[in-house]
Amino acid sequence: MKMTPAVLIVGALMVFWASTFIIVGLPSMTMKDYPSDIWRPLSPLEREGHRLYVRNGCSYCHSQFIRVSDWDIGAERIARAGDYAGIEPAILGSERTGPDLSQEGGEHSDDWNIAHFTNPRYTTPVSVMPAWDFLTVREIQALAAYVQALGGKDADLRHKRQRDWKRQAQVAYAGGVDRNIEWLHAQVPEVWRRMPNPYPATQAALQRGKRIYQQLCINCHSPIGDGNGPAQPFLGPPPLNFTILRRHLVENRYIGGIFYYQIMNGITGTAMPYFKKHLESEKIWDLANYLAVSFLGYTDANTEPRGIDASYEGNWQNPYPPPAVQESP
Amino acid sequence: MADFIHKPQSAALAFMVAGAVWFVVGAVYGMFSAIHLVAPEFLPHVAALVFGRERPVHINTMLYGFTGTMLIGSGLYYLPALLRTRLWSEPLAWVAFLFWNLTVLSGPVGFAFGLTQGREYNEYVWLADVSLVIAVACLIVDTGLTIAQRREPQLYVSVWYFMAALLWTACNYPLGNVMWHPSTGAMPGLIDSLFLWFWGHNLPGLLITPLATGAAYYVIPRVTRTPLNSHTLSLLGFWFLIALYSHIGGHHVLQSPIPNWLKTVSVVDSISMILPVSIVVINLWLTARGFGGRVWSDPSARLVMGGIVWYIITCIQGPLQSLPFLQRVTHFNNWTVGHAHIAMLGFGGYIALGAMWHVLPLVSGRPVYSQKLVNLQFGLITLGLTGFFLVLTMAGLVQGSAWHNGETVLRVLPEIAPFMVLRAALGIFILTGSLVGLFNLYMTLRPVPEPELLRRAEEAA
Repeated sequence: MKMTPAVLIVGALMVFWASTFIIVGLPSMTMKDYPSDIWRPLSPLEREGHRLYVRNGCSYCHSQFIRVSDWDIGAERIARAGDYAGIEPAILGSERTGPDLSQEGGEHSDDWNIAHFTNPRYTTPVSVMPAWDFLTVREIQALAAYVQALGGKDADLRHKRQRDWKRQAQVAYAGGVDRNIEWLHAQVPEVWRRMPNPYPATQAALQRGKRIYQQLCINCHSPIGDGNGPAQPFLGPPPLNFTILRRHLVENRYIGGIFYYQIMNGITGTAMPYFKKHLESEKIWDLANYLAVSFLGYTDANTEPRGIDASYEGNWQNPYPPPAVQESP
Repeated sequence: MADFIHKPQSAALAFMVAGAVWFVVGAVYGMFSAIHLVAPEFLPHVAALVFGRERPVHINTMLYGFTGTMLIGSGLYYLPALLRTRLWSEPLAWVAFLFWNLTVLSGPVGFAFGLTQGREYNEYVWLADVSLVIAVACLIVDTGLTIAQRREPQLYVSVWYFMAALLWTACNYPLGNVMWHPSTGAMPGLIDSLFLWFWGHNLPGLLITPLATGAAYYVIPRVTRTPLNSHTLSLLGFWFLIALYSHIGGHHVLQSPIPNWLKTVSVVDSISMILPVSIVVINLWLTARGFGGRVWSDPSARLVMGGIVWYIITCIQGPLQSLPFLQRVTHFNNWTVGHAHIAMLGFGGYIALGAMWHVLPLVSGRPVYSQKLVNLQFGLITLGLTGFFLVLTMAGLVQGSAWHNGETVLRVLPEIAPFMVLRAALGIFILTGSLVGLFNLYMTLRPVPEPELLRRAEEAA
């Protein structure tokens, strides 16, 4: 075959267009942009947030589609074509340095999002996301509004739940420190309230708990557990001061199960996220022991009721006596 | 004053110098990005230097600015040389130079302030798109008319690739960038991901690959002083490339809800890419067979051959990672980042640099200031890039396997921190390599007295 200019130019273009017709032309003619069951239009503020999301390159670290093989946040909904109807551009993303955001709406409370955009490390100490505090307040609000809309109608359901519980949490917080804790404990199912931590609070376990505290908790609850971390000014109700829990043990004894439940499930409405996707059982119990020992000076680890010791356990005796019973005022 | 735009091969030289400058700019932005993935509070509160804004500057400057510009520069030299004529119009090539570099410039001055369309590899705003298309159109006219006025009857394979790269880009770019939607540069809905990755993958495949292949086809036989191994293989490689390449962008959204038949086409044609790639590599390898010493002892040819090696590694890895089962682990993480680096800096960048150093004395009439510095550049970049590839691939496997096993993205982040530290450290080698290259280029081209030139010529001989 001799490559003449005509063969080169005409041939290269013809093969190109034939090939392109298959991969771009056919889909353009056959793919329909119908909304899916969870789709809803974006509000003007949310659209503004979407523009900011696109212009600031959020998509270079956050994907927006959940695959069949995914476990992480949003994995309850595998992406469908209609989820993206009318979005221009719907950037699916190619990288997950941060979590997928396609179902982020309502995962966190509004104040958590504002704190997170201002400086991601306030809410998420290990994050490598840039701080967006150079954006205006209005822009951060728009971005938060967009993120809260991700997931469409499912997000709206979650977001409404966040707002409903926030009202109740704020009322409880306004009722004073002790009322607040009573309310928080009342939200924990009965079986968890009298459940001691089944893991011995050994030095190794406390070290592991400390590491998790530093990676996930420290910038809300602070290094001394008083709830005055750098995120605190953004959050209402503010993060819990653990040190006052000492006078709120259930039957002057139990706290492990309450810690476990609250860490696992979070407290929807407040900025406290759930950690059950991040941490498995032992890590949560270790963290609970760390909180109890460090900030309450007491843990219910390995107290009654308890079953048969697990095979790895040594002869660990709980050295922490429960606090003296306080006279009620 | 305007004499320089009529000087033969002045545009070729200008493109190559611009490419060397953009390499430094792109490497600086890459360095910042790498540091930010380790230390997000580095240079805080500088709006222009947050990861989401600096990453597109890095990528686009490296793709269009460094690799693309430098390869076009060498092409503007070898095109008339292979056709035994002059470039049809030197000023027209300068017009292309102006518009092309305006587009590249719109990255650092635009993205940093949020002026972007935000679609990966399609970030340039509409005006910059127009500017790029004008540049490509000028080059098409210039190339076409240079071919028309040729005195060499046969069109050598490098000419095919150079001409075709421009033709394909002129069609590809407006389509993938959805230029008929000027405000967003995007289609509404899921179908946009097909347009996006159509160009997203054709950019390396139908712009950089043919330019780099053309340059390699020019440099290698010249250095080995042997005829090209096979005309038939050249033909096969060329036509397979265009027949298959434009189909494979879909493998970037393989696990998204795009139609299944598109996924099948993407995967099958991704695997088939092994054909054109191995044909090109075999053809060049057989051309150089028996004369490896000539390639190895010529610093610029060594860079080109290094690029061919990266090409074969990239293009074995690429098809493999398009396989759905493997992609569950390799997608969305640093594995892909490693792949992109060996494709763009390894294949495209090495050949661009090699072709530039090879062509530079022919264009400027001066021997390269220091072949040792070319060697140093080769060493620095090879160390940096090999390290990059290994570190990023390992980090990607850690991420992908952990996610697959149920760990969350957040929990895996601290796990990859040591890899990100290594990656930033290795980036220093690449940045240094780009600076060494720019210095060498400057020292080659700066005005020097005649005896100095003679001394250099003697050394080179």
